[in-house]
Amino acid sequence: MSSSTEFNIEQSDLDKLNEKDKAELRQFFSNEVQRARVHAQTHELTTICWKKCITSSVRSGALDKSEQTCLANCVDRFMDANLLTMKHIRDMRQQ
Amino acid sequence: MDSDSVKKDIMRQALQATNMSNARILIENINKTCFDCCVSKPGSSLPGGEQTCLTLCMDKYMKAWNEVNSAYIRRVQQELSNQTISNA
Repeated sequence: MSSSTEFNIEQSDLDKLNEKDKAELRQFFSNEVQRARVHAQTHELTTICWKKCITSSVRSGALDKSEQTCLANCVDRFMDANLLTMKHIRDMRQQ
Repeated sequence: MDSDSVKKDIMRQALQATNMSNARILIENINKTCFDCCVSKPGSSLPGGEQTCLTLCMDKYMKAWNEVNSAYIRRVQQELSNQTISNA
């Protein structure tokens, strides 16, 4: 399933767009790009943090309190580590 | 079609495509994770216990996804507001 086949818009229809709607679409797509980035990062982080936080065998469909706390901490610490790495790289380049 | 309905059609198609691809990735990840968690030694069939485990794991994974999503958004917003303060 390719994304190009999912989109079905004629050039003749695109030509009907006025400036106001074009501007609105530009804003819409820039928001969508942002939303897609957050989703991609969430998929990535869920994979990483599940491994760290869901350590016992699955006996319930709910998250217990400690798993919930662990997941939130995992995201925060991952971001800390990320920032630290970037800072270190910056320092290395300045040397 | 007038300009407004062309615009709405583009938005509708774009949202549909994004949501589809998001769901596809989520399902793929659930399958990988929960197969790993629930099916330790693949036998000649999928026993009831493993089926129950897979269902629970799927529910749990989606809850974990939402938890991670809100933690991530919270953190990004916090970083952005820190940036605004330090730039002020």
